[in-house]
Order: sequence, then C-alpha cells, then structure tokens
Amino acid sequence: MNIQTNASPTIQFDKKTKTESPLKAEIFSRYFRVVHALFAVLILIQLLPDQLPTETYAAYAVWFAAGVEVLTLILSAFIKKPASLNLFVDIVAFIYGLLIAWTLATAKFNILKAALFPPPGKVLWQFISDYDKILTNIQSSVGIILQGYLLAIAAAVPLGLFLGWSARLGGAAAYISKFLGAIPPIVYIPYGIALLPTFRSVSVFVIFLATFWPVLGGTMSGVMNVEKKTIDSAKVLNVGKFTMLFSVILPASLQQIFIGCNQGLTVSFVLLTSAEMIGAQSGLGYYIKNYSDFGDYTRTIVGLIVVGIVIVFISFIFNRIQKFLLRWKQ
Amino acid sequence: MSKIEVNHLTVDYIEKKKSFTALKDVSFSIQSGEFVSVIGSSGCGKSTLLSILEGIHTPTSGEILIDGEPIKGTGTDRGVVFQHYSLFPWMTARKNVAFGIKQVNKSASRTERYQIADAFLEKVGLEQFKNKYPSQLSGGMQQRVAIARALAMDTDILLMDEPFGAIDAKNRTILQELLLELWEGDGTKERKTVVFVTHDIDEAILLSDKIVMMTANPGRVYREIKVPFDRPRNRAQLVQTKDYNVFRNKLLSMFYSDIADKIGGEEVVL
Repeated sequence: MNIQTNASPTIQFDKKTKTESPLKAEIFSRYFRVVHALFAVLILIQLLPDQLPTETYAAYAVWFAAGVEVLTLILSAFIKKPASLNLFVDIVAFIYGLLIAWTLATAKFNILKAALFPPPGKVLWQFISDYDKILTNIQSSVGIILQGYLLAIAAAVPLGLFLGWSARLGGAAAYISKFLGAIPPIVYIPYGIALLPTFRSVSVFVIFLATFWPVLGGTMSGVMNVEKKTIDSAKVLNVGKFTMLFSVILPASLQQIFIGCNQGLTVSFVLLTSAEMIGAQSGLGYYIKNYSDFGDYTRTIVGLIVVGIVIVFISFIFNRIQKFLLRWKQ
Repeated sequence: MSKIEVNHLTVDYIEKKKSFTALKDVSFSIQSGEFVSVIGSSGCGKSTLLSILEGIHTPTSGEILIDGEPIKGTGTDRGVVFQHYSLFPWMTARKNVAFGIKQVNKSASRTERYQIADAFLEKVGLEQFKNKYPSQLSGGMQQRVAIARALAMDTDILLMDEPFGAIDAKNRTILQELLLELWEGDGTKERKTVVFVTHDIDEAILLSDKIVMMTANPGRVYREIKVPFDRPRNRAQLVQTKDYNVFRNKLLSMFYSDIADKIGGEEVVL
C-alpha cells in the first residue's frame, strides 16, 4: 500500500515536468539570445562621455536601436522556423555590433578622423532631415534603370527566341552577340552623349545595351538547350508557331533567361551610379559625389547606405519574381 | 479501307558517315477501332515506326496512309503518349490537359477546357492532383495525366510509345487495366484506333486485338498475330485459362526463334 501511494505522486510530477520543460526551452531559445545582450551594451556605452566637439545626435541612434529591438522581440514570437529566426537575429546582431564599434570609434574615443567619419546618430539624423531629397534621387535612379532594363528585356527576349529557334541564323547570332556583349557598355557613353540630348536618355541607352546582350545571349542559349523531348511533345500536339515560341520554348528556357537578366541588373547599377557620379544633376551617384565634393561626409555615408538598401531591395523583388515564375521546378 | 496503312516503309539513318537501316520494307494495316501492339527487342525500329506515325520524322521511302491520305507532318487526328516527358513541367496537371484540348478545339472557352480537363483527370483518378506540377507527381501519376490529355483531345488515333516502360511492376498493372477500361468504354462510343509500342509480351496480349512482331537489323515485320480473346478482358481470369498460356508460349517461342535465327539457329539453347 505504501509503495502505491508513494508511486502515484511521482508519476504525476514526472508528467508535469514533461509537458512544461519543452515550452520553457522554447521560450528560452526564442528570447534569451546574445543579440539582446548586444543591445544592452549599445545602450550602456551611450553613458560614456563624448569626445567630439560637435553634436553627436546620440538620441537618434538610441531610438533607432530601440525600434530594431522592439521589432526583433515581436518577430521572435512570430517567426516559426528556427532557421529563419536565427538568420534574422544574426543580421540584427551584426547591425548592433557595427553600431557599437562605430559609436566607440567616433563619438566615444574619437579614433577615426571626425570630419570623414561622423557618429551613427548624426547619419541617422541627416537621413531623416534629407528624406525628401533622398526619395527624389532614388526615384530618378530607379526610374532610369527600370526604363532601360525593361526596354532591353522586351526587345531581347522575343529576338532571342526567334534567333535561337532559327537553325540558320542562330549559329551566327550567337557569335555576333558574344562579340558585341564582350564590349564593356561604358565605352558606348561617348556615342550616347554625341547622339542623345539628355543625361537621362544617355543613361537609359547605356543600361539598355548593358542588359540587352546578356539577356539575348541567355535567351538564345536557353532556346538552343531546350530538350528535344519537350519540343517533340509540343510538335505532336500540333501547336502553331506562335504557341510553340511563347507557350513552350519561352517557359522551357526561362531559367537561362533569368541568368541573363540577373547579370544585366548587376551591371546596370554599377554603370548608372558611376555615370551619375560623372555627369548627372540627380540620382544617388550624384548625391554621393556632390556632397563629398563639398566635404559633407555625413551625407556621403547616408548615400552609400541608401544605395546598398535600394540594390538589396530590388534584388529581393527580382528574386521573388524569379521564384514565382520558376515555381514549377522542384 | 483500313484506318492506317503502312506501305513499304524504309528508313535509313546516316550516322558518322555510315548508313544504317532502321526499317526495311515494312508493310501492314490497321482497321478502324483496332488496338494494335508493335512488339520487338530493342533496335527493331518500333519507335522509329511510331515517330513516323506521329509525323516527327519522314521515311526515306514508302508512306503511311491515314484514311487513305499520306501523313504530312504532325496532325490533330493523332494523340500521343511518350515513355517520358510528354508533360510540360511548367503547367499543372489540369493546364497540361487543357493545353492539349486547346490545340484541337480552338473554339472552346477556357472554362469549357478546364471542365473537360477535370472530367478526364477524374477518369484517371487524379481529380485531387489537378493543381499539382509534374515534378510533384510520381512517374505513374504523370503517365495518367499524359493519358488523360491524349484521351481529352478526342483524336481518332492514339499512339503510345512504351508508355508504361518506366513504371514499376505494380503500377504498370494498374495502368494497363485503366487503359483497357477507358479504351473499351461502355460501348456507346466508337473505340479509338490504338498503336501501342511495347517490349512486354503479357502487356501486348492483354491489350491488343493484333500484335505486330518486329525483328531487328534491319527492322522488319516478322509476324502479324491476331489475339483470339474476347472483350471486355479481365486480367485475373484471362491469365488462368489454358488458352492464354498456350498462346503466350507460342508468342514467346516465335520471339526467341527470331533471335535464334539471327545468331545461328539450332545451336542456341535457351
């Protein structure tokens, strides 16, 4: 009898710990992370005395970090996959680490040249006060890229389909496009300037060329590599020429077309920002070059960060489109 | 008049400057509504023969007549099921079937095409998988979709090139019975004329009205054999009958005597 009465509470106790402990571990793994310690360090180092003669706008950095921290805590509850949560948290930890090093090297210990390296708070303050100007410059740059880029795709894909499908022209066209595509598009700029009236039209023209050749080459090699079985399956369905090209050959070569598009996008950004630094009156390259000429390195850093964010954002959209259109691949 | 007439068909390939005869003087005919299997070991030209029927290749000499007219390229009077990759990987099962319907019936609206497609996917038991891509389906399921497409196109003639050759034994049996059931129908509609390429003797006996046995190097017709069993056929009952086994053994001995002829007659012990 004694043994029985002793045994039953022990079993109950076991059950309780079994149901509770995974939940505790779950909460622990979600919220007790190094990233939050880094946030605390970032806040604490603000208490050190400033070494700079100028305003550091530390409050902006603190508010920014606090915003990121709140976002991190909220998302920690909502991101289901542990791998995605780890990825997100690691990126946030990197941002905190960068802010800590940056704050210490500038405002707190003044190791870097103060004129070239403003403290992070000042950069954030400048970003907020220049917001309208930055938005206009983003619009200008992205507008030019999209125009040249989309025109190039609209021209190169149908032409590539036609040339790749034509057994006779395809061979010669592959060599010609390889030769013309090998010429760095930047060397077309003098011709562009001589032929076209405005900076904008020259930029669109150069981006068009920078995208046209890789997309044409990608489309043609895509078409030439479509499996014979796929073409035979379409042939026995008795499809027309138009359907064959646009409903069969085009989707079958989509992956290769995207390789060309991706290459075009990368080159376009390099070209446009360089061109804007040389001869433009607007755009992100112009923003950076113009203010660095005046020795305003706070705005130069703002410009660098914005260029990075814009490119990451556009690549993200591009990848989403690619993933959607190629969703039928395993 | 026969539905399909193969007249003195010869096909030569030139490969590395060497001429190679895939088919030599092949002649036979197929009646309307007949299920004919073309059987033979690999290299006997049975797939070449089918590709000419499909209209993908043209013969060196001779011709194939359909309803008395010589074949000129591919046509909407023939539906095809290949061993692999007949489906387009970027289309869902339903879209693959609807795409086939669109090619033969330009006037049908998108909704009508989808309705027909869904009905045929149901017939092959895939109504739950209509929105899946081929990469999400097993090999057997993909062939079901391919069969649904060929049937939904409602062509007079069905050409099948070893459609179950890459399917595992159990699913192959299920698919053979499904094809038999769909083709035999309920007697209200006229049966389609089928040319079915295979190297499986049991498959050929179960499905066909007539078996065209071919021999290799060069590809020729070795024998044409009528299959004497009544329809509708039931595999389980059929394989137990004495007639079936006698017939099967007869075919097997023909099949092997052809090989024996090729490599030295009586000396070969099987």
